[in-house]
Amino acid sequence: MSPTQLGLGILWPAFWTGLPIKLAFVLLFLALGMVHFETRIGLAFLMLLTSPVTVFALPTIILGLESHIGEGVGIALLFLLAIPIDIWALGVVGRTFFLERLRREPPEGLGLTLWWKCALVGAVFLPVLWVAVSATTQASISGVHSMFEMEFLKFVPVAEKISIELVLWGTVATGVLLLLLVAGLSLVGRMIRGTVESARPASESYQGLITRWDLMRVPLDQGLMLTALTGGAVVLSLLFWSSLPVFTPHPHECCKKPEAKAAPAFKPLETLNKDEKLLAQLAAQVELLEKQQAEAELEKEKSKGKGKAGKDAVKAPAATAPVPPAAMKP
Amino acid sequence: MSHTPSTSTEATILEKVIDFVDERVGLKLLAAKMLNEPVPGGSRWAYVFGSVLLFIFIMQAVTGVLLMFYYVPTADHAYASTQYILHDVDYGWFLLSYHFWGSTAMVVCVFAHMSQVFLWGAYKKPRELIWLVGLALFGIVMGFGFTGYLLPWDQRAYWATTVGVEIMDKTPLFGDFMARFLKGGATPGQMTLSRFFVIHVMVLPAALMGLAGLHLFLFRSAGPAGPFRGTPEELKAKTDYFFPRQIWKDIVGMAAVFACICALAFWEPVVLLEEATPDPGDYHPEPEWYFLFLFQLLRLKMFSGEFGQFVGAMALPGAFMALLAALPFIDRDPERNIFKRPIALIGWVVVMAAILIFTISAIINREFLD
Repeated sequence: MSPTQLGLGILWPAFWTGLPIKLAFVLLFLALGMVHFETRIGLAFLMLLTSPVTVFALPTIILGLESHIGEGVGIALLFLLAIPIDIWALGVVGRTFFLERLRREPPEGLGLTLWWKCALVGAVFLPVLWVAVSATTQASISGVHSMFEMEFLKFVPVAEKISIELVLWGTVATGVLLLLLVAGLSLVGRMIRGTVESARPASESYQGLITRWDLMRVPLDQGLMLTALTGGAVVLSLLFWSSLPVFTPHPHECCKKPEAKAAPAFKPLETLNKDEKLLAQLAAQVELLEKQQAEAELEKEKSKGKGKAGKDAVKAPAATAPVPPAAMKP
Repeated sequence: MSHTPSTSTEATILEKVIDFVDERVGLKLLAAKMLNEPVPGGSRWAYVFGSVLLFIFIMQAVTGVLLMFYYVPTADHAYASTQYILHDVDYGWFLLSYHFWGSTAMVVCVFAHMSQVFLWGAYKKPRELIWLVGLALFGIVMGFGFTGYLLPWDQRAYWATTVGVEIMDKTPLFGDFMARFLKGGATPGQMTLSRFFVIHVMVLPAALMGLAGLHLFLFRSAGPAGPFRGTPEELKAKTDYFFPRQIWKDIVGMAAVFACICALAFWEPVVLLEEATPDPGDYHPEPEWYFLFLFQLLRLKMFSGEFGQFVGAMALPGAFMALLAALPFIDRDPERNIFKRPIALIGWVVVMAAILIFTISAIINREFLD
């Protein structure tokens, strides 16, 4: 089995095994107002829930690279709680993986061994991945944008341009991300390989192996397990419902989202009446101004010469007489 | 005088009640049939989507009924009653936000379930009918999303519906009738709201319950398909009953989805825009996110004009759905391993990538409109 397959074979099911328990805590912390996520919720969730590899990497990324996924004491608390959950999940997954896929006897303390190895690789590798993928994405976006600024590509319509740009920079960014993820999984696999090689091969037949593997997934004391789970679920549910805000919770200062705005409500009759009044007022003002202007000109002409001034003064208002607004017509 | 000693084998009240019901409806046989279904190759996380969908539907029904206690389906009061639910009813914001995000979760899980069935080759003989009923259920889920979107009666709801009905109008033969029937007038109004409400709370739930029952019956008749690879020895060794392992996985899946929906309700609670009016003002109408890819597709130059819009809005999606319906009858090769079905694998990747690209493009396109 290749190191990449080994890394993926352990990390993928371990992520899903720990996920429901961590989700329950995330939900509780959200209800208690202890966690506030920024708009990049998908990223925040992923980082928090893949904690076997992000437990040391995320603080490095937040502090060292000044990235921000949210606020609240719940984020740190979640990481602390995630440590035992991950050790347990890696232990369950690791034991079954060793027996069923590798056909080897799982060594003692496998969960803890796998956890510190994964956490170590994550702490070194994830910040590198973060920087590399961010830089590649930024570079490819600006490269593609400048390409479409060229004269001979300006004819491309907006919708087509958006999709083509997205495909171009998205392919580059996704390619780099996938390559680095494979490299990271391979690193995890290489770290684990030593533990695999030191484990002794299982001696039973395949059927016997599967029976052991199957029983390994079932708790020894099922009654106790069921009672503990039910009790835990009841306590978490009570805590959740008692802490759930009665009215919409206000977003934290750090994580306010831009408000969606729509045009004010359009009420045809009111708008029409308002416009009619406004037009009538404006028409009256125009009429008054013109009258004043005409009177002023008449006064001026009178002072120059009576005969000619009188004729012009009669003509002027008639030429600029206000047209009644369309809205005022029946 | 002899007394019959009371022994531990004496039936308890609960057992007596169960026996009473069992004698009349065959409860124990039914439970045995439901729970002791063999799952070839054993339980898997990939099989949880069907049960999760059923769970989401039940939760949508429960939250929907609770919302109906306060919601008034009239053009005059729909908006105000929704605002009342959001701001005045205790936990109303959470109920409405859960219902809103539940519909999104339902669409996501339908896509996941259909993808799993497609990739596992589980639509092939003898499971063609399960696939066809599943496609009808997919249509119903989309219908739920479309009809439910109008009910808050804000600008977003009004204009998304207007755009959706206009797209429907382009269907040849019955498009005009469907559009007129749904709108009930020249512009969306009271008749539209009433019809959407009735379809959303009565017609679609009834259709979904009936078809979901048929889907389950057909699934139980044909049996689970099992994994698409593995030696016969491996499959035989791992084969297990539906209870307890698959049921346990289903419960965990349901709990995880419940937690995700609640978390989304916290992160992005429902906020209404202004009340619906026939003037969009500065608002740029767009449908719900799962129709965004189609909306963006229609913005492309090649789909402009009357004929182009018809091709993009109706002909292409219609042809795609027809292809999906015909799939079990076209693809008769018994091979189920997706890695030995390159056309199916490439086709799935292309469709998913296209949906993703056009959805993100539609989101980026908003900046150009603003």
